[in-house]
Amino acid sequence: MFEPDTYEHDLLNRASLDHCVKCTICETQCPVAAVTPLFSGPKYVGPQAERFRHGESVDHSLDYCSSCGICTHVCPQGVHIAELNSVARSAMKADHMPLRDQLISRTTLMGMTMTPLAPVANAVLRFKPALVAVEKVVGIHRNAAMPTAHVQTLVGWLRSRTAPKNPAPRGKLIFFHGCAQNYFEVETGIKTIEVLEHLGFEVIVPKQGCCGLPLQSNGIFDTARSWVRKLVAQLREAPQDLTIISCSTSCGGMLKHEANEILGVKDADLLEVGGRMRDVCEFLLEMYDNGDLDTSDWLPNELTVPYHAPCQLRGQNIGTPAVQLLELVPGLTVVESGAYCCGIAGTYGLKKEKYDIAMKVGKPVFDKVVAINEGVAACDSETCRWQIEQATSVPTVHPIAFIHQAMGLSKLPVSTGG
Amino acid sequence: MANTVVIGAGLSGLVAAIRLARAGRGVTLLTKGIGGLPLSQGTVDILGYAPDRVETPIQASASMPEAHPYRVLGPAAIAAGVAYVQELLGDRLVGSPERNVLLPTAVGSLRPTCLVPTSMTAGVVTGGIRYVLVGFRQLKDFYPLLCAGNLERQTTPDGQPIHARGIILDMPAVEDMADSNAIGYARSLDNPAYRIKLAAVIKPMLEDGEVVGFPAMVGEHDASAHRHLEQLLDHPVFEVPLPPPGVPGMRLNALLTGLAKEAGVRIVAGARVVTFESDGDRILSVGQATAGRIRQYAADTFVYAPGGFESGALNMDSYGTVTETLFDLPLHGLGPDLITAGEPADQALFRVGVGVDKEMRVVDPAGNAPYSNLYAAGGILAGAIRWSEKSGDGIALASAVTAADSILKGA
Ligand SMILES: Cc1cc2nc3c(=O)[nH]c(=O)nc-3n(C[C@H](O)[C@H](O)[C@H](O)COP(=O)(O)OP(=O)(O)OC[C@H]3O[C@@H](n4cnc5c(N)ncnc54)[C@H](O)[C@@H]3O)c2cc1C
Ligand code: SF4
Ligand code: SF4
Ligand code: SF4
Repeated sequence: MFEPDTYEHDLLNRASLDHCVKCTICETQCPVAAVTPLFSGPKYVGPQAERFRHGESVDHSLDYCSSCGICTHVCPQGVHIAELNSVARSAMKADHMPLRDQLISRTTLMGMTMTPLAPVANAVLRFKPALVAVEKVVGIHRNAAMPTAHVQTLVGWLRSRTAPKNPAPRGKLIFFHGCAQNYFEVETGIKTIEVLEHLGFEVIVPKQGCCGLPLQSNGIFDTARSWVRKLVAQLREAPQDLTIISCSTSCGGMLKHEANEILGVKDADLLEVGGRMRDVCEFLLEMYDNGDLDTSDWLPNELTVPYHAPCQLRGQNIGTPAVQLLELVPGLTVVESGAYCCGIAGTYGLKKEKYDIAMKVGKPVFDKVVAINEGVAACDSETCRWQIEQATSVPTVHPIAFIHQAMGLSKLPVSTGG
Repeated sequence: MANTVVIGAGLSGLVAAIRLARAGRGVTLLTKGIGGLPLSQGTVDILGYAPDRVETPIQASASMPEAHPYRVLGPAAIAAGVAYVQELLGDRLVGSPERNVLLPTAVGSLRPTCLVPTSMTAGVVTGGIRYVLVGFRQLKDFYPLLCAGNLERQTTPDGQPIHARGIILDMPAVEDMADSNAIGYARSLDNPAYRIKLAAVIKPMLEDGEVVGFPAMVGEHDASAHRHLEQLLDHPVFEVPLPPPGVPGMRLNALLTGLAKEAGVRIVAGARVVTFESDGDRILSVGQATAGRIRQYAADTFVYAPGGFESGALNMDSYGTVTETLFDLPLHGLGPDLITAGEPADQALFRVGVGVDKEMRVVDPAGNAPYSNLYAAGGILAGAIRWSEKSGDGIALASAVTAADSILKGA
């Protein structure tokens, strides 16, 4: 139950559900409902069940919604189905949040504890008996795609490297690394910074914590709000007229819209930061469209790459900029997965009761990747990359890796993520 | 590169985008959500009632009132629009724009339509036809006995009898499912093993010469599902469209969206276009409400294909004022008594919309273009009541192709 006058209360009180015309388009596109009878689909648990909830949930199948947001994306009427479901789930779980959901939600904690111990952590994560124990105790599936911890963080790399001395004719940008790039996807972060510097930008990296997304997607809203507010304040310590670049679809999406639309954080500061946030491929493609990205000296790469546009990217409503961007690399052919979701949906697919569903959701993606790949696949979201790699054994990288390579900053073939 | 922004991903937006992109234009398609195709029957209607049942739709289009989109477009443009979708979809749509056919609906009435997906052709009404309609106890959207009973009571237009009977199977889409919907069945029917299981149950119940009608769910993705089922049953099989979600419409939507991508159309879905910039004469850019900000898309020409009231492109407030919600365009068909006590589906309100010239450029009631580079297509056009006339698909196709060609000609 939520107090009156809170955001959740308002949302549960039918902010947008009366727009639903019961066209059922969302039902036909929900990737979870397509693979399991345990979940009745977005319209039923969303605008339909909502009428019976009165602040409390009557329908526990709601927990099977992965929050991928596809329903909201395809609804022609603007019903905030996924947002409604996230809030309702938070209400449903408020009193009995599993330890597991609290644990995997604290990414910085996981990252910080894993980094100094990376070799040990990785060994443990690859050691079956240990994983079986983890599944038993906290409910993370033994085969789940877990991040690889790194010996060095992105912040560590920034500190130890010699920053480029050449002038930055295009001015300054802020890089938002989130936890993903700092702890788990260090190489993607490094490549993004190097690409931007190569283009003539100076990249500023202010001190920054976690955006709180995993907390939010597991329904732990209060803590998520305080984390995202803190992060906004940190990002605003850098000059406030600069564009902010993210190469994590989840972290970027949190600041662009989820903190506002799901957590109900309406602070002017957050909206201001969200408005300056650009996904790196979105940013580069916009440069290209404006005639500011010279691709004439990009190196060819004769390769066919399966590409999966993650649901987190679709939720930003910016199209699939990576597709157009990668096609600017001479010789590179991009084949889209054609599916909406790889199944992981943040931390959904890590949970033991959801793991099988997540693997079924992702099957069309995995099949396509296996059929098309010539040694490497691409996807903008870190959790999806882990999931695709785990399921297919095909190394899966952020699209920026191909741009990095085309600029001659790294060698062929693409090294496998990092 | 010359570029065009198309707004809306219904039949008209998709077709205009494909035609422009295939001709070498840079095309960005901005859309809130999926368009109306999955809500359609998966057939292409040109003109079904005017107001009596129509047999030759292109010919009959000339008898529509002067303000009707078909009168603005003319028969040649209608034929070109229909020919283009047939070119795009090849043998998946069968028929001639010169002649309507009648197909059984889910409640057993006879519906006039024009182009028919291959999976429905066997159901076209002919004298002496013998239907057997197959329903499922777990499927709430199709009652074969009702359908058959109503068909039996009718005759073909030239007075010949129609025979029909229904059978009900007890077979869920997925084991143990109490309540299966058409999508669930369609996904199961994508699997050849399920088709074999189903055919084994039905085959002994069939009589010689019967045409087998299934609710429209014979495979979501597998285009060979229908043919396979016919082979297994050794009888002609056809699909009867159901209330939405309609699988045949979903298939059309998936095919056209795929063709748009192949043609290089950039599809940016998920958010409404909410603002625009103009220099007074031309639209310079439109702004889509993407996450966190409004993103402006500049172009030299714009095709506005947002549908009508049903998609929020037209709005009527509580004072009865009707507006077009994005550009605030001048509307045609306004007047007193937009809503009266008459037939709910046939109100004058539904004829209100945006007016266009022969090029599909938006014009005010005096014939002047508020913006020289703004074209409109599909359900937003004034003058038609698309659902009563069964004219929505034809209008969408003809106006989309005409708008695209005007842009390509540099009109
Ligand atoms: C109840 C009903 C029954 C009908 N039955 C029939 C029939 O039997 N036969 C027939 O021929 N026709 C029928 N029609 C009409 C037919 O559905 C339409 O004429 C046809 O689908 C029009 O397609 P469209 O491309 O113009 O628009 P739509 O299919 O409506 O697509 C509009 C698109 O524009 C998008 N959009 C709208 N505004 C914006 C914006 N501001 N920014 C971004 N995107 C936007 C929407 O998300 C959507 O994708 C019926 C219509 C209704 C409502
Ligand atoms: S797509 Fe939107 S309008 Fe249609 S049923 Fe789902 S929530 Fe309702
Ligand atoms: S958010 Fe994703 S899983 Fe949840 S109802 Fe919507 S489409 Fe289905
Ligand atoms: S979404 Fe990003 S910043 Fe937020 S927790 Fe993830 S990894 Fe950290």
